[in-house]
Amino acid sequence: MIFKLFVLKEFKKSSYFFLGLGFLLVLGLSGLLSISFLTENIQNNLRSNARQLLTSDLAITARRDFFPEERKLITDFFKTKEHKTYQVVDIYSMVTNVTTSESRLVEIRCYEDHFPFYGQITSKGSLLNQNDFLISKELVNLWEVQTGDWLKIGDSQFKVSGIIDSDSSIGIRGFSLAPRIYLPLVKIIQSGLLRPGSTGQFSIHFKLNESEEELVKIRQELLKLLPDPAIKVMTSKESSNQAGRVFDYITDFMSLSALVGFLLALVGIFYFYQSYLLTRLKDFSLFYLHGLNKSQILFGIFLQFSSLFFFSLFIFFLIFNPFYFYLRDWLSTIIGFALPPGLNYRNFLINIPMLYALSLSILLPLLKGLLRTPLGLQLKLSKQALGYFHPLDFLPFVALLWIVAWQLSHSLKIGSLFLFSLLIIFFLSLILIKSFQKMAIYVRPSRTLCFINLNIGLSLRNFIQSGHKLNLSFIALVLGISLISLIFQLNFLIKKEFTLTDNKPSLFLFDIQEDQLSDLKKLGREKGLELSGVTPLVRGRIEKLNGFKFSRTEEKWDNSNREEEIEARTKNRGINLTYRQSLSPSEKIIAGTPFPETVPEGQNFSYLSIEERFAKRMGIKLGDKIIFDIGGVEIEGIVRNLREVKWTSFYPNFFVNLQPGFIDDAPKTYLAVLDRSFSHKKIDFQKASVNKFPNISFIDMEQLIQKLSELFEKSRRAVELISWLSLFIGFVILFGLCQDQIFRRTYDMALLKSLGFGYFSVLSQIMIEFGFVFFMATGLGIFLGWFLGAIIGLEVFKINLAFDFSHYVVLFLFLIFLCLATIFLVSWKTIAKNPRELLSDN
Amino acid sequence: MMKLKDIKKTFKTGSQSIEVLKGINLDIREGETIALLGRSGSGKSTLLSILGGLDNPDFGEVWFNDLCLNQLRDQELVKFRSKNIGIIFQQFHLVSTLTAIENVLLPLSLAKNTNAFEIATKLISDVGLTDRSAHLPSQLSGGESQRVAIARALAVNPKLLLADEPSGNLDEETGEKVMDLLFGMVKQLKTTLVLVTHDKEIARRCDRIINLEHGSIK
Repeated sequence: MIFKLFVLKEFKKSSYFFLGLGFLLVLGLSGLLSISFLTENIQNNLRSNARQLLTSDLAITARRDFFPEERKLITDFFKTKEHKTYQVVDIYSMVTNVTTSESRLVEIRCYEDHFPFYGQITSKGSLLNQNDFLISKELVNLWEVQTGDWLKIGDSQFKVSGIIDSDSSIGIRGFSLAPRIYLPLVKIIQSGLLRPGSTGQFSIHFKLNESEEELVKIRQELLKLLPDPAIKVMTSKESSNQAGRVFDYITDFMSLSALVGFLLALVGIFYFYQSYLLTRLKDFSLFYLHGLNKSQILFGIFLQFSSLFFFSLFIFFLIFNPFYFYLRDWLSTIIGFALPPGLNYRNFLINIPMLYALSLSILLPLLKGLLRTPLGLQLKLSKQALGYFHPLDFLPFVALLWIVAWQLSHSLKIGSLFLFSLLIIFFLSLILIKSFQKMAIYVRPSRTLCFINLNIGLSLRNFIQSGHKLNLSFIALVLGISLISLIFQLNFLIKKEFTLTDNKPSLFLFDIQEDQLSDLKKLGREKGLELSGVTPLVRGRIEKLNGFKFSRTEEKWDNSNREEEIEARTKNRGINLTYRQSLSPSEKIIAGTPFPETVPEGQNFSYLSIEERFAKRMGIKLGDKIIFDIGGVEIEGIVRNLREVKWTSFYPNFFVNLQPGFIDDAPKTYLAVLDRSFSHKKIDFQKASVNKFPNISFIDMEQLIQKLSELFEKSRRAVELISWLSLFIGFVILFGLCQDQIFRRTYDMALLKSLGFGYFSVLSQIMIEFGFVFFMATGLGIFLGWFLGAIIGLEVFKINLAFDFSHYVVLFLFLIFLCLATIFLVSWKTIAKNPRELLSDN
Repeated sequence: MMKLKDIKKTFKTGSQSIEVLKGINLDIREGETIALLGRSGSGKSTLLSILGGLDNPDFGEVWFNDLCLNQLRDQELVKFRSKNIGIIFQQFHLVSTLTAIENVLLPLSLAKNTNAFEIATKLISDVGLTDRSAHLPSQLSGGESQRVAIARALAVNPKLLLADEPSGNLDEETGEKVMDLLFGMVKQLKTTLVLVTHDKEIARRCDRIINLEHGSIK
């Protein structure tokens, strides 16, 4: 009976109202559910292709070559197991087009026989052969090289045997520094390219006839056997998770943007449900008088909303399916990963209860208000009133929102920051609008209605009396606009950072051997340029921290906590160290003191300068004692200062700097840069260098920045798309709220006309009042978005405050125009109504 | 002062047309009080809206002294109304965001009256609401609201005051007090009054009673 009364009858009676609410819910849910679907589909695809991505059942990898004793341990471990194996070395090196003498950086995947165990790398439909030298299409596009052409790598020349058609070992390639080529490992060794300290990834792959559970066990045993945290043991599971990492970060932020949209939809639902309950109070009183108790009435509303929620979900599915199939190609282009045609609903089912609970919790204050309403008295009152609800009634909603934000961002820190930012925006908006209302009371002249003129004076009075309903639309608008402004600001800052300016180098050189350094510098001088930022790079790892052995941290791959993931990766990574007395131009000390000028006689430890974020992740503080293992030699260090590094300067910088005089004799390579002032000579210099020193690699900063910008652009487009959806929801709510406000003022407006106000006069009062509110909301929203963006820029990218004035003016005017157009659309017809409707017969 | 010549008005509801006024002829003299009596749907309010320039007849002429209201453009009609017509509604209809005194100030401000505040204060005092002048409509009782509405309607000293069942929404006692106030002020200001009512007792207090039946004067 309750279902019939509260769901069937009410849906029929107020069909437009519930259709509107359903529309809002569908809009709100669409962003979140689309992203969760997308993520699930991609993860699912990666999972099912995990072995192809890894190319084997298990791989042991390190960013250095394995020591002979480690190789022996590995060989002994697998002796008793039936297996096949090969090595893969991924290195970066320069390759020269023999025909044109042009050279550029490539990623060389050096393979051995049997590679790959799983998946396939094909050229013209044929599988990779033992002696093939395959190049990627990217290189073909850049150089127009064809099969049969000759390329020079190191000291040797190789004939291109094919162009890669498909490569199943590539997952989501968010960013690749250079085009990939495949070359047999033996040939690379012969070319003399692999030298001590060469930058690369060394892997030993295994094909094992074991079950998944057994592979997990083997992995654990290998991790114990090889205690160096820099060595990773990966099964297909770790491989697929790693492949999806770039996408995970993008979807985390997309989800939060979509959550703002959902939140706005919930704000609208709260507002409209409140109006609905008020109009139905008389009916509820009648139900109450006829025997339904309050719990039954509340249950009826619960049923009603639940039905609406699940009906909206159903509609979403109906729309989403064809929509996805239609837009699949476009989405694939954006994310750089071919989306599968099939649909997978696992994440939907996980997220739906969470979103359902969040939606219900926003109605809790209203239901409590209803519980506090003396229903028996409502029929006697000329004007019905819903019982009060306390601000604390919103606590469950806030708590749930926090949990949802945490779950969606996979980070307690980001989830909490998100909620904190929302609360700040909420309270600032409330304080601002309340302050203006208070201020308006003081500004309002007491002896006349005019303030500048009568229309503005009346608008001012309307604004003062507009109450919490206007506040709600104000807050909703500020939230939506803040989000857009935030994306806008981040976009601006990052674009600014990823623009080649004079203080950024034009070439970045690495893998310079010690014995090549002076000749390289000499070559530079011959070409009329000077290398700068020449810095030694020494590989090492932390052995002990304050006396405690630094052990490997198990990297979690369950997609649950991004901070833990980053921390584990940082800890397990081998460290690149350098030694230098002074700071580079892109560094500054933020805690502690600079290195002393000289090293006193007998000092057996080096002072250390640690990058602040690295220190935070590793739990390193000033004064901590660290023992490094550098090429088997223990070096002791004491943390003297913490440094802030502007990584986007692209100058050689390191997490750990030692004092000169302690690791000067360790095996090392050098890094160097070529300043922008010599950019016109870079090609000539690069050609000559590659010819003379084929092992030295060059990164063209123009190309790198271009690639980074493209990657950022893809992510930005995806996040921005969701942000605009959120703003659209904001406008839908604004439309509804304005319509409600205008509807409530129908009689006021007719009355003004009956008193002698013209149509345009009434319209201008409305436009001035709402225009002022929109002006403030847009201004505040843009400011808050800019401010949050500036803080993120400062904290994450170390980018100084900046303001893109002209673009913000355009955004501001555009949003104001949208707002005013909304209120005009909503009000013009109502204002045009004849005031005779005020008379009793009407 | 006011003359209605053969006024006809038809409303369309769906496919049906209802002739609400069927050729009304009426002369209203300056200073007289007229009661419009009739059942619901007899056309009283339509006639009132035509008298007040809120609506135009489909046929016939409305003359106010030498001015034919039907020939006025919208803007001119609005101006005419603000200067010459005061209206009191059954539902009070005060502007919800303005206080009692601000509601009275409204027509005076529109007329750019330089003594607006003094006049409004006096009128509020005349209707006995000095201590409630800073209250919003939501804080006033029905009787108080209607008294504010009377003060507002008389603020610009209109030549014609139209009252649409002003006591219809009030209890008997309050209604009587409001009507006493209305008649007292009309007499004092010598304003012409056209009053729509169901109540024959109230109608008897007027100089003339006009019975409206099915859109015609009986």
